[in-house]
Amino acid sequence: MVLAAGYLGFGALANGQFPLWAALLSTVSIFALPGQLAMLEMSIAGSVPVMIVITVSLTAARFLPMTVALLPMLRTVGRPAWQIYAAVHLLAMTGWAASMRRCPDLPLEQRLPWFVGFALTNWVACLVATAVGYELAESLPPLVRQGLVFIGPLYFVLILTGETRTRHGVVALACGAVAGPLIHVAAPQWSVLLGGLIGGTLAWGLLVGVKKRA
Amino acid sequence: MLELALLILGCALATYLWRGLGMLVSGRVRMDSEFFIWAGCVAYALIAGLAVRILLLPTGTLAATPLPERLVACAIALIVYFVFRRNLFVGIAAGFVALVTLVAIRSGF
Repeated sequence: MVLAAGYLGFGALANGQFPLWAALLSTVSIFALPGQLAMLEMSIAGSVPVMIVITVSLTAARFLPMTVALLPMLRTVGRPAWQIYAAVHLLAMTGWAASMRRCPDLPLEQRLPWFVGFALTNWVACLVATAVGYELAESLPPLVRQGLVFIGPLYFVLILTGETRTRHGVVALACGAVAGPLIHVAAPQWSVLLGGLIGGTLAWGLLVGVKKRA
Repeated sequence: MLELALLILGCALATYLWRGLGMLVSGRVRMDSEFFIWAGCVAYALIAGLAVRILLLPTGTLAATPLPERLVACAIALIVYFVFRRNLFVGIAAGFVALVTLVAIRSGF
């Protein structure tokens, strides 16, 4: 439900920049809020499509370790592989965290249905939230619209400060938070991609350096 | 219109790539290698950089709100979020109300 609040903000942000069908298509087909936000912002800044796709791909790299961690719990003998390939499309932060908590308590054959049920509900709720946010932004006074759009970045500031537990995560957040806006001043079209690469690599380098000295 | 649809589908493929790849390599590679640590750092920095940039230097609708109001509303949201034991919903609601109220006060309602 909280993820839906983020999508409310995304819908509101998309209004005036993207047609409604495009906002909805992105929720259906991408279903990853950071990637969608990056795509929207970069399109507005006038980035080259290839660069947008690369950047979105980088924001989605987190799904690889998430899928790898979740799959051994869901896989059962005799279940067709396509079912799992279809199910992982619905994998996103909220459903993943819930499944990692709940699945070990469930019998093996019930886990995939449970995951799909949970994730599908999320997916539909986010789709509805995208549409509602979009439509609200049109009909509400500018003041409330600004508040709705504000939800988008706020959602990530809160979830990142609150839920980041690893040392790598914290250092990378700090480096990215500084690098992103700085690079934006110099090169708006490049800021998302370069900010991530430079900030992330800097954080990684710092930690490698600390580890070596220790 | 076609270009926009292609862009979105391209981004969707680029996103699904990681989910599908996770399926393929599951159980075969170590996740704690330096490469994955680096990729994790880049992903964190990218999202943090984007979120902070939108707060500091917004485009579109949000650009009409003054910077101090955005920063104060963000600080209020963070405080409420942590006071309510990391309740994301309450935190976001507080940030929303704070921004709307602050901007309304400034414009003299």
